[in-house]
Amino acid sequence: MAFLSDMDPKKLRLYGLVGSVVGIYLGAILNSALNTNVFSFIGAIAAIFAVIMGANAVRRVCAYGIGTGVPSIGMLALGMGIIAVMFGLSMAETLGSVLLGPIIILIYAGIFGYIIGVIANKVIKFNIPIMEEGNADLSMAGAMALLGWSFAISGTLGYVDILKDVLMTGYIAIIFIAGGLAILHPFNANLGPDEKQDRTLVNAVMCSGIAMIATGIAALMTQGLAPGLLQLVIGFAIWFYFFKMYYRLVKRDASAVVGTGLLPPTVQ
Amino acid sequence: MIDTTITIVYILEILVGGLLVGIGVHFVPVGGAPAAMAQAAGIGTGTVQLAAGSGLTGLLAAGLMMEAMRLSGLANHIPAGEIDYNIWLVLASGAVGAGIMMGSTMLTGSWIYAYAVGAPFASAKVNYDPITGFSQPPYVAPGTVGQGIPTICFVSGLIGGMMGGLGGAMIYYPLYLINGNAALSAMFAIGIFLVNAVIASWNIQGTIEGFHDPKFKKWPFAFKACAIASILLALASVMITGGA
Repeated sequence: MAFLSDMDPKKLRLYGLVGSVVGIYLGAILNSALNTNVFSFIGAIAAIFAVIMGANAVRRVCAYGIGTGVPSIGMLALGMGIIAVMFGLSMAETLGSVLLGPIIILIYAGIFGYIIGVIANKVIKFNIPIMEEGNADLSMAGAMALLGWSFAISGTLGYVDILKDVLMTGYIAIIFIAGGLAILHPFNANLGPDEKQDRTLVNAVMCSGIAMIATGIAALMTQGLAPGLLQLVIGFAIWFYFFKMYYRLVKRDASAVVGTGLLPPTVQ
Repeated sequence: MIDTTITIVYILEILVGGLLVGIGVHFVPVGGAPAAMAQAAGIGTGTVQLAAGSGLTGLLAAGLMMEAMRLSGLANHIPAGEIDYNIWLVLASGAVGAGIMMGSTMLTGSWIYAYAVGAPFASAKVNYDPITGFSQPPYVAPGTVGQGIPTICFVSGLIGGMMGGLGGAMIYYPLYLINGNAALSAMFAIGIFLVNAVIASWNIQGTIEGFHDPKFKKWPFAFKACAIASILLALASVMITGGA
């Protein structure tokens, strides 16, 4: 994935938004048109696009140093995201069209994230120039990732179904933390003066693969064998492929990789 | 449709809950990574982890109290829509739950600092502990900003934890009354909680010792920021439905 190495944030955001929205719609339409739920895995794939966008936003904002550690901003992203998702799905249900959901979610998340960014700069006086767009990105990424994984577990975009399959069962807690891991962990693990965009983002994709394994296990319970197993296998493949790639990048960026061997015998 | 006055009351309750969370964070002695190495006073973890921990325990305690009220109402053959949820009991339950969580975290943390790390508890922000009156500077190791959890930090942390739990319960209570779905209300409350906790932790820039810390004077900024964020969140939360 050489294209991750020096892609500018605007392009990455575009890919993230388009990829996640198109993916979720594709999965939802295929599932409902063919009256099946094997296409639920597309939701988890769509979430990967959102996660890449979110991880890149974390890396841009946190490079300025926010003083509270990287996890705080990841939790903020997921906190804003879960509210946007529930609000959007509920509104779509009230308006009578399930397919409106992702659009409402995206608009609410974008506006709310932007306002949080403005508050951070104007009231808390952070004075980080990209705080507004960074927070809008984070909020949208968190929302789309949570929506993608919720869809992967429940197989529909219907508010009542997602409530029943994802919230009432408690799987929301798993995807909440797995999402936090995928969005905040990459920069937290790779930060430092030699932090490279491609290494961080490959790590993000790898974590999304782990999240997909988790949604696969949950989908086994909610949707049955075929969709769950499909997600598990694809998630494992993604994780394995990108773990190898990540290891290669780590070796590329490290000045030396040496084996330390076992602990030396105790000297008396 | 819920009538307007009640909706406004719900919005105000969520707003006050968000503010309590935001201010409560300022009371918690957050030491961050330096405290984990016993080079600063406070609990050795980040603000968000502590705030989320106390808030979630508060939510659980409040949710348990509401569920108990619902069950006792059903047992007395009161229709589901007419059960009277006593807000004061719910709030007290949330505050006490979060206070216990924060207190036990600080107590066990203190054991580690005292018996494993072997550091004397001292604050570098005050010369005399305002509660015990003990002199602090002789016990502050050179090159550090205090160690462990001194009495003043412990008391401040208890207040902060209880405020966080109170805030969590105050957010959960109206949400549950609006949509009647415990899981949805809890997730929504967690979202509101995290947003407010992170904004407040940005305000204290990572570490604080408690209400005696000079950084505590910055709380009006967090008050304003959390008020704006909570209003926006409250407007969204009164519009969602419980999905039948």
